[in-house]
Amino acid sequence: MEIIDRLSAGDPEKRRYYISLFLEVLEPELKRLQADEILVGANQEPLLQILHKLKSQVQTIGEHEAHQSMNALELKISSGGCVEADELDPIIEQLTVLIGNLQHQLQ
Amino acid sequence: MSKDLKIALVDDDKLNLEVLHDFLIRSGYHHIEKYYNGEDFLKSLHLHDNRAVVLDYQLSESGGMNGLEVLDKIKHSSPNTHVIFYSGQDSLNIAVESLKSGADDYIVKSVASVVLLKTAMDKIYQIQVLKSKEKRSQILSWTFVVLWIVTILTFTVFS
Repeated sequence: MEIIDRLSAGDPEKRRYYISLFLEVLEPELKRLQADEILVGANQEPLLQILHKLKSQVQTIGEHEAHQSMNALELKISSGGCVEADELDPIIEQLTVLIGNLQHQLQ
Repeated sequence: MSKDLKIALVDDDKLNLEVLHDFLIRSGYHHIEKYYNGEDFLKSLHLHDNRAVVLDYQLSESGGMNGLEVLDKIKHSSPNTHVIFYSGQDSLNIAVESLKSGADDYIVKSVASVVLLKTAMDKIYQIQVLKSKEKRSQILSWTFVVLWIVTILTFTVFS
């Protein structure tokens, strides 16, 4: 969250605003990631789109580890590979923890 | 110091758009417009020339149009507009293609990229300042030439 702190320049309202914008995207996209059908079939384009969108978001708020994991999966799909459920689970876990922390900060 | 450069930010990622907007304001740029999709931005093209555009490559809410297609339309109808790609697409091919198509710069979104964006904006601002000085200097030169001709003609007629 160091980046959010730096970008909000000590303004708590701005910080809350950035976090709420982030959650606005993250929560529905996480639900899509958790849906079983995301990994069904050879077409992983929907998964690719979610990963690209979330990658950019977590990058903006400075969650480097989550960004790198998503980037690796995005590259795998882009180069014709297929992502398995066990590769997606750690990302879902990271994002779930992140959402919990951010919601706690907003209260 | 307020920098007189019009900037359009085009990105369907609202968080990124707000962060860039606030960062550029803090860097002295106060004429900033935000567009959440390429279509709305393209509708505003005829209203402005000579501005800087920060463009995302993957504009999912622009009817399938990607950043290169938007760039093509910008260069066609507003050739003096400076375009900087600010994208999550870390692809050398896309970056090269963007620069070949007339983009001024291609910046991959990362932790340090807002600073790179500010540097690119400062460069465009300096170019605008130099162009504006050059234009003023040309106007002055022509004014001097016209005055000189009028003086000579007046002298010839009345002498």
